[in-house]
Amino acid sequence: MPKISIIVSSEKLDKLLPAMTLATTAAIMGWESEVFFTFWGLLALKKGYVPREVSSDYKGYEDELKRAVSSGVMPSWREVLEQGKKTGRLKIYACSTTMSLLGIKSEDLVEYVDNVVGAATFLDSAKDSDISLFIS
Amino acid sequence: MKVDLVVDARYKSCPGPLLALAEAVAKSSPGQVIMLLATDPAAPQDIKEWASSVNHRVLKVEKINEVYQIYVEV
Repeated sequence: MPKISIIVSSEKLDKLLPAMTLATTAAIMGWESEVFFTFWGLLALKKGYVPREVSSDYKGYEDELKRAVSSGVMPSWREVLEQGKKTGRLKIYACSTTMSLLGIKSEDLVEYVDNVVGAATFLDSAKDSDISLFIS
Repeated sequence: MKVDLVVDARYKSCPGPLLALAEAVAKSSPGQVIMLLATDPAAPQDIKEWASSVNHRVLKVEKINEVYQIYVEV
């Protein structure tokens, strides 16, 4: 089966949703799928985090996107992530450097984070991927 | 065609229909037939791609009053 590796460096709604849509769809299709959350992306893995904003360049679309999610036309990014996790093929990694940079501890992270890793570990895991994406 | 389960994913955009179908498939047994209702124009092709990837079968796709009826054998 193919493999996809995605790096997410933003905690904004318009970055999380497409990243998790691809990651979870891949896992549902039987692919191996992994997502590495780094820099501001790591904020999305903190317990209780709810994305309320889109990127500043696209503020004009914020209400539309939020309405699509709240009405159920689009699933919330967390629902998408949780369904991906249920397949057992979606791995979520938190960036170790960002953890210390932002003062985030392991216990601050949601339970579906598989591991806290550094760049070399993620690269080693991602090196045989068929698709690799950086979402920022 | 005998349908064991109907999954209503009308008005949901991608990846909603596939997520709803995958959830239903996980609770079904091999040989059962699920009818997925979807209005997302990307759904028929998406479901076919998924099915060929995970060895399920799309038996038939019909469009009735702007609603796709996608029959999937688990």
